[in-house]
Amino acid sequence: MNWKLYKNELIVVASLLLMLYALLYKNNQISSRTQEMLSTKHTVREFRELITLQKTWADKKVSKKVNKLEKIVPSSKVKWSKKGKKLTASYKDLDPKELNRLIINILSMAVQIQELKINRNDSSYDVEFKCKW
Amino acid sequence: MSFLVNNKALLLAYSGMKEQTLSHTVNIMLTPQFYTLKKEKLPLKYLYQAKRIAPSLFDGLFENSEKYDYLVYKEEEEWIFIAYDPEAISDFLLSKSIKPEQVSKIFFAQQASSSFAAPVLLGEKDALVSLDNTVVVVPQLALKENNDIVTFNDSFTPKRGVTLQGIHGSILSKRQTIGLAGFFTLFALMFFAEGWRYTHDSQATQEEMQTLLEENPSLQSDYTRKSIAAKYQAIDKNERRKRDVVKTLAGMIFKGVKIGSFKLNEKAFKIEFVCSDAKVAKRLVQLAKKSEFNSAKVVTGNVVHIEEKL
Repeated sequence: MNWKLYKNELIVVASLLLMLYALLYKNNQISSRTQEMLSTKHTVREFRELITLQKTWADKKVSKKVNKLEKIVPSSKVKWSKKGKKLTASYKDLDPKELNRLIINILSMAVQIQELKINRNDSSYDVEFKCKW
Repeated sequence: MSFLVNNKALLLAYSGMKEQTLSHTVNIMLTPQFYTLKKEKLPLKYLYQAKRIAPSLFDGLFENSEKYDYLVYKEEEEWIFIAYDPEAISDFLLSKSIKPEQVSKIFFAQQASSSFAAPVLLGEKDALVSLDNTVVVVPQLALKENNDIVTFNDSFTPKRGVTLQGIHGSILSKRQTIGLAGFFTLFALMFFAEGWRYTHDSQATQEEMQTLLEENPSLQSDYTRKSIAAKYQAIDKNERRKRDVVKTLAGMIFKGVKIGSFKLNEKAFKIEFVCSDAKVAKRLVQLAKKSEFNSAKVVTGNVVHIEEKL
């Protein structure tokens, strides 16, 4: 059989086979890589979450940031006790604005609130706050 | 050995030739009896331009011009146009017992005009000669007696030839072949590219994970990861809950409502709201229940208590 006579058909069949091979390659890549990629992406997402958690709750700068709570109201109204990674603070005779500012600052800090007490005395408030980090 | 060189035997085909018995494929050189020649000096630069205008040069010469194919090439300053009828050539070769599949390439005597410096005899009556660089068939009687005679052999084989495969055997034309092969190849490239993209994406994610692990070596250990997750996820959950409770309770303070006392620790919270009247207290309880503080209740007229676990 003279293959040269069917050169055109051979070229078309060869290109068709190439296309089918490429299609199989693509499908194979999709099925194997998608599973692998989803698993890796899930792990990466978990890693990022852990890193964020660690950065938030084990932030070494929190100790400095906490000092802000001492100066947020006049010093005469504060009783401050900071030992290591623990804080006990008492605030007396805070007006509603001061109370509001104090609470907003406490909530925005990455500290573990152990105790938060608010008591009203006529028009002022007393606050007791314990936290650790 | 070179695969590019066509080293098959060259057979001169002319109208009076004897029937052949071939056991192998051959190249065929056709005499001017099978083609029509035109030489033109045209201001053309490229071969494709010459090929495009080839049919128009032979306008009116053939009855069925669409049956003709053209071989075009440039020889010094002139463009050489050779028109041939593949079907007629094929039929002639078949009549001489030369099957199309036994023919490798077809050449035209004009292509080897320089080799016809001396006449080549065609049977007993005719001869092929080159006159003014054009190969023609002349009667042997017209040759001078002292003319040298050249024996036709494989050295006459020109570089370029044509094939007859479009006539017998092949179903697809050249154009169809190019179209289909191009289409399939294009799709093949697209599939390969897409497959490669998936591999590349996967590698990028792997690289991202490697970078994270290099920056945070402690995460390489599964035990450490679990330990970090257990510790900080619990802290995060508890602290978010505490802050959510405080924010929700703060949002429940409206005109006529004041905080009496509030206490929050690791496990629970307790709050006492002092309302201006019983109506406000009732409204506050409704609001608390809407915020899912179901323990909210009115105690002693206008005081509302909420006490819940975190």
